[in-house]
Amino acid sequence: MPAIEVRGLRKRYGDTLAVDDVSLSVETGEIYGVLGRNGAGKTTTVETIAGLRRPDGGTVRVLGLDPLRDRNRLRQVLGVQLQEAELHSALTVRELMRLYRSFYREGADPEELIERVGLTEQRRTRFEALSGGQAQRLNIALALLGLPRAVILDELTTGLDPDARRQMWAMVEGLRDDGVTVVLVSHHMEEVERLCDRLALLDRGRVVAVDSPAGLVSRAGLEQVVRFRTVEPFDTAVLDRVEEVRSVRVVDGRTVVTGSGNLLHAVSAALVRADVVALDTRFDQATLEDAFLALTGSAFDGGE
Amino acid sequence: MTDIATIRAHRPGPRAWARLVAAEATMVARDTSGLIIPFGLPLLILVMNGMSVQDEAEATGIPIFERYVIPVALTIVIAVIGVVNMPSFLAYYRRTQVLRRLAVTPANPGMILAAQVIVGMIQSAVGIAIGVAAAMLFFDVGLPEHLGTALAVLGLAALAMYAVGMFVAAVAPSGNAAVAIGLTLFFLFGASGGMFGPTDNLPEPVAAVGEALPFGAAVQAVGAAWAGGEQNLAHLLALAAAIVVSAAISVKAFRWD
Repeated sequence: MPAIEVRGLRKRYGDTLAVDDVSLSVETGEIYGVLGRNGAGKTTTVETIAGLRRPDGGTVRVLGLDPLRDRNRLRQVLGVQLQEAELHSALTVRELMRLYRSFYREGADPEELIERVGLTEQRRTRFEALSGGQAQRLNIALALLGLPRAVILDELTTGLDPDARRQMWAMVEGLRDDGVTVVLVSHHMEEVERLCDRLALLDRGRVVAVDSPAGLVSRAGLEQVVRFRTVEPFDTAVLDRVEEVRSVRVVDGRTVVTGSGNLLHAVSAALVRADVVALDTRFDQATLEDAFLALTGSAFDGGE
Repeated sequence: MTDIATIRAHRPGPRAWARLVAAEATMVARDTSGLIIPFGLPLLILVMNGMSVQDEAEATGIPIFERYVIPVALTIVIAVIGVVNMPSFLAYYRRTQVLRRLAVTPANPGMILAAQVIVGMIQSAVGIAIGVAAAMLFFDVGLPEHLGTALAVLGLAALAMYAVGMFVAAVAPSGNAAVAIGLTLFFLFGASGGMFGPTDNLPEPVAAVGEALPFGAAVQAVGAAWAGGEQNLAHLLALAAAIVVSAAISVKAFRWD
């Protein structure tokens, strides 16, 4: 049984169809990314999984439970970090941790968790005085207080500096090591590429593709590019017989080879066989962002 | 692998309630500016009136201080806490998504409303105790003639103020708007209910409307209990009506996000 299963989810707000038809199957213990532009339906999808919204159509099961009907049971084992949600402004880190801990039957030791997220020095600091990164770390800690079996993280690192972002990533990887299922909503390509075992690309309320980050890149069929310079002009025919090569052009004395598979290695080997010395060799591989553009056919809006 | 059968529901118990009430009390106590009006203004009114009306009271034989000044001071305590302060917290919790954040834990966001009412009750009791103690110490006022009735009437009036506060929290989009709406209602209720002088001085229709609103009804009912007069059923019904109408609208209109 998948940890989280969404089938044919549909949600409409007035005239806007936020989620048209979304199906996801998240396996136990994996980090599952939900990627898409603003308005693609990411947040609506995870909020429905969290039981905050009632779907207009389709079914949702989290750890075998219905998020609405089995709300009280699911709340014990599902941790949720909400995008932009704040906490009691005048309460300190420690007060908030103890308050939220009291809601769960079983859970983590607040002091230990405060230490794990690196807020020991801020434990007497009020929420309103925390930096963005500290507040976000507190949010993660609160989501983990009930020792959840599954966690939903919505825009985990938005607004964090690179250092704080890397700390967050390490924490999420730690969750996977503990066997916790993680659903990660993100805008951030590097984050998704580094953390996610699999991810779903959402576009206009639909799932466009589900695969590993590398799988999505190769599925997009985007070409790799090898560029190099040679001291003497050479006969490009030596590359024609290489299976991985699709095209060879010479532009301003630079040779540009496109293709697929292990292109860089294949080209290098062919050049060595032909006694051609390549200089300034550069290799470009399609990124997840390129794959996103190709698969959704629209510009990715990484901002906001 | 997940075994659903091992997942058991658990409603937050007494410990969670205690922590939540303590959390709301901390929020209220650390909001220093929100403490000044409910505790300071009634004392100021007692002192200002205490110095000016005592002779008048003796001359006419009507205990104006007991009949009007103390009831007004105590009603201000419960009205400010219920109609202005409490909704500003609740609207702020909604705007900053604190209520939503609670909704994804085993706690119900409704618990925060209940905790605010409990804290408001405690705060009101403290404010009333300070006001009565000051009146007894400095102005030689005794306890109410009908002590039990006075306490019951204050409790009913407090519930009416919290119900109106819930209505404000339900319709206000932000903490700021809640303060604005709450203060407007507070001054409307207060002005027509005797906050700026006995209602005898008001035009008759205004006074009549004021007595039907929670502030005026509370002042009249508390005054009657203090001076040992009979309770006018109309004032008690007005308070009960405020509770029923406000609660009904709040339940229908309250948004959690």
